[in-house]
Amino acid sequence: MTARPPAVEARGLVRRFGSVVALDAARLVALPGEVHGVLGENGAGKTTLLSVLAGLLPPDEGEILRDGRSVEIDSPRTARRLGIGMVHQHFALVPRLSVLENLMLGWPGSPLQLPVDQVSELARNLADTTGLAVPLDAIVESLGVGERQRVEIAKVLLQEPRVLILDEPTAVLSPPEVEGLLSLVRRLARDGAAVLFVAHKLDEVLSVADRVTVLRRGRTVLEAARQEVDEGVLAAAMVGPEAARTLVDRDTPEGGDSAGISGREGGLRARDRPGGSHAPGADSLAAEPVARLQEVWLGSDKGGWRLQDVSLAVRPGEVVGVAGVEGNGQRQLALVLAGEADPTRGRAELPPEPSFIPQDRRREGLVQEFDLTENMALRLHHRPEFRKGLFLRWDALEAWTRGRIQEFSVRAQGPEVLASTLSGGNQQRVVLARELAEEPEFVVAENPTRGLDVAGEAFVHDTLLSLRDRPEGPAGIVLISTDLDEILALSDRVFVMVRGRLEPVEAGPDLRRRVGERMLGAS
Amino acid sequence: MSGLLDAAIVIAFLEAGVRLGIPLALAALGETISERAGVLNIGLEGAIIAGALGAALGALDTGSPILGVLVGGLAGAAVALVFAVFVVGLNVDQIIAGTAITLGGLGFTAAVYEARFGTTGTALTLPTLDPVSLPLLSAVPVLGPVFFSQAPTAYLTYLLAPALAWFFYRTSAGLQLRAVGEAPDAAAAAGVRVRRIRFVATVAGGFLAGLAGAHLSLAYAGTFAEGMSAGRGFIAIAVVVLGRWNPILVLLAGLFFGAASALQFFLQNLGFDIGYQIFLAVPYILTLAALGGWVGRARAPAALALPWPTRRRGA
Amino acid sequence: MNRSRGWIVTGVALLATVAVAAGSLALGGFDPWEAMRALVSGSLGSPTAIFSITLVRAVPLILTGLAVALAFRAGIWNIGAEGQLYAGAVAGVWVALAAPSSVPAWLLLPGILTVGGVAGAAWAVVPAALRLRAGVGEVITTILMNFVAIHLAAWMVHGPLQEARGVFPQTDRISETARLPVLIPGTRLHLGFAIAVILAVFLWAWLRYTASGFGIRAVGASPDAARVAGRIEDGPTLFRIFLASGAIAGLAGVVQVSGVTFALYEDFSPGYGYTAIAVALLAGLKPLGVVLTGVLFGALEGGAGAMQREAGVPAGWVDAVEALVILSILAADRLIRRGEA
Repeated sequence: MTARPPAVEARGLVRRFGSVVALDAARLVALPGEVHGVLGENGAGKTTLLSVLAGLLPPDEGEILRDGRSVEIDSPRTARRLGIGMVHQHFALVPRLSVLENLMLGWPGSPLQLPVDQVSELARNLADTTGLAVPLDAIVESLGVGERQRVEIAKVLLQEPRVLILDEPTAVLSPPEVEGLLSLVRRLARDGAAVLFVAHKLDEVLSVADRVTVLRRGRTVLEAARQEVDEGVLAAAMVGPEAARTLVDRDTPEGGDSAGISGREGGLRARDRPGGSHAPGADSLAAEPVARLQEVWLGSDKGGWRLQDVSLAVRPGEVVGVAGVEGNGQRQLALVLAGEADPTRGRAELPPEPSFIPQDRRREGLVQEFDLTENMALRLHHRPEFRKGLFLRWDALEAWTRGRIQEFSVRAQGPEVLASTLSGGNQQRVVLARELAEEPEFVVAENPTRGLDVAGEAFVHDTLLSLRDRPEGPAGIVLISTDLDEILALSDRVFVMVRGRLEPVEAGPDLRRRVGERMLGAS
Repeated sequence: MSGLLDAAIVIAFLEAGVRLGIPLALAALGETISERAGVLNIGLEGAIIAGALGAALGALDTGSPILGVLVGGLAGAAVALVFAVFVVGLNVDQIIAGTAITLGGLGFTAAVYEARFGTTGTALTLPTLDPVSLPLLSAVPVLGPVFFSQAPTAYLTYLLAPALAWFFYRTSAGLQLRAVGEAPDAAAAAGVRVRRIRFVATVAGGFLAGLAGAHLSLAYAGTFAEGMSAGRGFIAIAVVVLGRWNPILVLLAGLFFGAASALQFFLQNLGFDIGYQIFLAVPYILTLAALGGWVGRARAPAALALPWPTRRRGA
Repeated sequence: MNRSRGWIVTGVALLATVAVAAGSLALGGFDPWEAMRALVSGSLGSPTAIFSITLVRAVPLILTGLAVALAFRAGIWNIGAEGQLYAGAVAGVWVALAAPSSVPAWLLLPGILTVGGVAGAAWAVVPAALRLRAGVGEVITTILMNFVAIHLAAWMVHGPLQEARGVFPQTDRISETARLPVLIPGTRLHLGFAIAVILAVFLWAWLRYTASGFGIRAVGASPDAARVAGRIEDGPTLFRIFLASGAIAGLAGVVQVSGVTFALYEDFSPGYGYTAIAVALLAGLKPLGVVLTGVLFGALEGGAGAMQREAGVPAGWVDAVEALVILSILAADRLIRRGEA
């Protein structure tokens, strides 16, 4: 019996970005016919490793072997010729072109011809063999997220890759869609391809992978077959033994169902609440809402409604979780709640300065070219204590910034450093410091932990919960997130955004499944 | 006045409109190519004036207007090449670089002209590109004399518009170009050579702008004067917007603007004695009005004028 | 922005420009040394050169440079300083000529300066409104307005504002009371220079120390963050800045009439509004820097006349060099950033 060489093997890959070492002698061995899970938390180097394999980035050092032969993957074209296809995390589709045009883009052949018939035929065959059907004439930007991903996958499958790389494919899907994807992945592996499946959620990888590789800080720290490991082992490899418990709690279904109330011992988020799960504390039930939306409708410039008949009362001392697949109006809801957008119809009663943690911290949360003091000034420039008539009191602002940097453990040399020099996690701390330092009564948080590592995520969650649990003047918090686990872990009440409507989900058992089904109503 | 005389005036007006519109349409078609690939070339004016001078010198030195036109095209392409090196190669800001190219082009052509011919002020006489009346077609009533008794560059323009449309929508290379202008990251991931396409598109646009300039000096004015492009490059950019980046519509928009420019002669002939300078402002005012009225509905290529690879701000 | 990087970029850009400029002269058959010598002596070689040529030439460049720097800083591509300058000049000369001779200077001068500023702002209204209401890019609209202004001014001096004897396309000379006083007796250096410097200091202080100045910097650096995090409405802010930029350029026009030419004529501006872009960029969009770069370009353009007379270099060459400055700054900035990364 001859051992078949690995479909793809990476040895000693090193890749640096300036002073940051993204890959530090990373290793990966993927065999044909297997589903290979690549695990690691945000920033561990998974995407960098995949980008190297897909020809998007050259490695600084190291070797890549394809079917046992050493190769140099210098461009996506080369990767394609080598039979490597990648489905990207942020879809590599041209939104304003049709599905067929996207499938034909980059198709080898004469520049003067469009392979319309050839590609259409192949797409039909693909639908017949794998069940993956895509609407050829639709314009991509009109499609929902789940459908766009299917187009992306079809595009890659048309090239008949022998190595298929999926980068965080489940991040934007509802639970039923995730199931569909995972069964497709299993079928592709059965047909002989090597499928590299990148994720940072343990349970998904465990349910489908034959073998796993764990990356931590750019190095390969574990390579094993599925039978040899369990969640605990994987979590310990990903984040180290101390933090492993938190990770397991976060990523496994049992922890998720009880939604952060009971059933969590010793975890950082344990808390006692009278009234059982999903009910706000008895005191706060009677309290005046800190923010209220009454029958709010928000129109879009292209006609149609982004928000339809949304009503919500947020009471002090509760976290309202809003789940949903991206693109169903969450952004608009966040903007209305934060006072940034006025409802077209209906009423929004909001406190004077809602604290808003926007999802795009780089572009909306901070001005990258400003230093930390100036970034703090974005919120404070109206305040009389920082003004002297028309002038800003920069000395006072700087002192204030210094204090907050300490309080929120921002790793920066001082208030004079530019925001752009900080890491993602630290930038988020700056945003939190600015928005939450004054103990606000109402907070809108939009995907606040996106792209953060476990430590950063824990910090955000702890901060939000401590605001909610504050003895004098507890805050009302709206958490809008596409991460269902996050919603379930923190929320007292859960809603789902479906096509612009805010729909409550009843408390009780099997919450995760019910929310998941409602989310699917969206795409 | 007899009906025939009125018709003659209208036909003369329309013919002048087409004659004035051709350089606009030609430059605009060139700009459409580069903008569809995501490059906004404000330096188009520089390419046009370079083409005008290049064509003048080429025709003068070779005695052949046709060769002059070719030289003009190459001169425009050269200007666009410099622009492309900065904007595609070095990824500098397109707006500022384009403005610099236009200023540099105007100054440089003035300097070259002065260096060669001095500052005497007597206009140059050039071998001109004369109108060619197409057999049969030019005999068609009204349309004939208006469209088919023009300089050869006009016929090139008429053919170019549908050719470009075919290229954009029916060829693989055209698809790649459109993808590059809409979503360069996605195109790159699909294996498309973004930089190369943008380079070629920009230079091709400059070549056509150079041809437009050649038409100005050899077919329209019959001479060269400093600054004779008179802002046509900027109007051409507006024409691209009004034509919604579609070659056929761009051609029509360009001819429409030619008609607007011809209006000044028409009105003068009718005896409006206000002073001709005011009429010179008409094309620009009309362009402004058109931009204000129409634009919101058309959508530019999504990646137009944005740096690629995307530059992290502050980094 | 990294402070030292700013200086390095400027330095590299200037060196590259000088090298290419000298090279192009040599290619054109001119003697680079002769040309440079004429340039330097014509601009800085004597007190007359410095005060009556270079600094006088610098005034409109500093003012338009401030207008452009302010706009660019806020993310507004105002390429229309040229037209706004003409608008200010036309309005200023009109009022100056129409005012009765009994009006004293202390009243008339501020009056015409204000009128010029307002006219410049008015000239920016159309592009500003088109951008804010219809989303039309201001690059094209401001350039189109330039052409309209130039033709309007030409029409004025051929028609309604033409001199009384009707021979040349120019206006009559404005009265003594409408002229800016001279700062240094015996030279042509007028009060406009002081106005320009004071305005630069004012803008610097305003951007750095006031809340509204901070708002402008935020909007220019990141309109999204300014809107979401800072709750600064970019729309009204941008509109005001656009008009302020136009006003400063308009001021440049009326100052030029009132301090130097004392009349309006065709081709009144050799392209100050466009040179202003190079002036502003070279100064890193900083108001105080604009004073320095304005003087630098004043020397460049002031010395160009001497260069033409003594070394035979055509005037258009200076425009090409200015364009070269802009391109080298852009390139140097990108290359240095790449080196850092």
